[in-house]
Amino acid sequence: MSSEFHTLTSETPVNQAVKLFKQAKKEEGRKIFGMMVIDAEERLVGMISMYDILLFMRPKHTHIWGMMDDIDIAGMVDMACKKTKSVLVGDIMTPEVITITPQTHILMILDIMIKKHVRRLPVLENEKIAGIVYISDLFNSLLDRFTD
Amino acid sequence: MPSSGKNTLSGLIVGQAMRHQVIQLIQDTTIANSINALIKYKINALLTVDPAGKPIGVLSKTDIMGAYYAGLPIDSPLEDIMSKPPLFCHPENALENALQIMRSKGIYRLYVTDPENNHVVGALAYPDIVGLLYQFCHDCEYSHFRQKAKLKTDSIKRFSVKEIMTNEVEAVFKDDSLLQVMEELSAYRFGAILIKDREDIPCGVISKTDLVLAYKHGVDSEALAETVMSSPVQSCGADELLEDAIKKMIFSDVHRLFVHQSKPDELVGVFSLSDAARIHSGSCHACISSRIKLET
Repeated sequence: MSSEFHTLTSETPVNQAVKLFKQAKKEEGRKIFGMMVIDAEERLVGMISMYDILLFMRPKHTHIWGMMDDIDIAGMVDMACKKTKSVLVGDIMTPEVITITPQTHILMILDIMIKKHVRRLPVLENEKIAGIVYISDLFNSLLDRFTD
Repeated sequence: MPSSGKNTLSGLIVGQAMRHQVIQLIQDTTIANSINALIKYKINALLTVDPAGKPIGVLSKTDIMGAYYAGLPIDSPLEDIMSKPPLFCHPENALENALQIMRSKGIYRLYVTDPENNHVVGALAYPDIVGLLYQFCHDCEYSHFRQKAKLKTDSIKRFSVKEIMTNEVEAVFKDDSLLQVMEELSAYRFGAILIKDREDIPCGVISKTDLVLAYKHGVDSEALAETVMSSPVQSCGADELLEDAIKKMIFSDVHRLFVHQSKPDELVGVFSLSDAARIHSGSCHACISSRIKLET
């Protein structure tokens, strides 16, 4: 588990969240693909991933374009970026989050990640966030055991 | 010889136009959480299923707007406000028949099931049909886009926006309340409404998406229209070619454009992707005379 983690609030505008992802990456020295979202009482209310943000940025009718070459890509990116100002993290986050406790067995965590297709799991202790487990932590931990 | 009963959609089936990604949520999901799915996937409605995965209803932005209007707590389960039952068609059904069902039932989407196992495999809404038409137009040898490139004299009569737009523009004032906005939207069955100032100058638009977000953000339904409207108003000229207007909508992710005459402030109509789908053709008379080859 990493007990060093960054959080966002549901009221953070999405464009601001993108900046905070960048900042968190710098501070933690690792790539950050998802962050926990908390309310005013610091309770976990959701998770937001880079994927959620990209989904929201994706224009609606992409499937139509396929072979078209007369598209103003720059203009469309600008348009998508403009929309990220009025939409908040709480609007596009995943609200129903699976959590674990510090006591959850590592193989149980592995099982959850595989079955539920998630790469990070918040760790809660008495409803308070204690940390987060990334799939890479899991992999490294298993790897260490194999090489010992 | 051009056959008169044919149009661009003849011979096409639902499977060619439908969207494969269908967002489904269980009936006890809260309205608040359903809004997240609608916003993130940029869809106007989602399929509601029971815990066993059986489709039981459809939750649209219109239903959510109704809940906002009625002052329902946003933590209510979506089954309280969904429309039911969902209506279905099969991938091999003729697209024209599917459109006919949508028109006669006054609905905006059908879900597509595999006739062998009844699994939901897709969804079909007006923008999907427009998308398909747009692709054909784009690839057609009579395409206005291609004609421009070749600099040939253009002898084909093409549809312009004014021929298919709705001629009246309903509007509310920017100091009207959101409740009034919602009343107008449901009375006229529009997806969005124009907002004007007291000098009758258009200053923004409120769509159902804006209202759904206002509900989610806890904005009081008595708040003024101007607090949630999007501006500027996206518009096109009345004489613009339908093809260009559709392109504008598809690429700027809007479902409708307001239509102006010579002056941009003088709005004379409104035109949506659904209107474009209803004219049953691409965007020029080349399609109507069935000169377009559809065996792609």
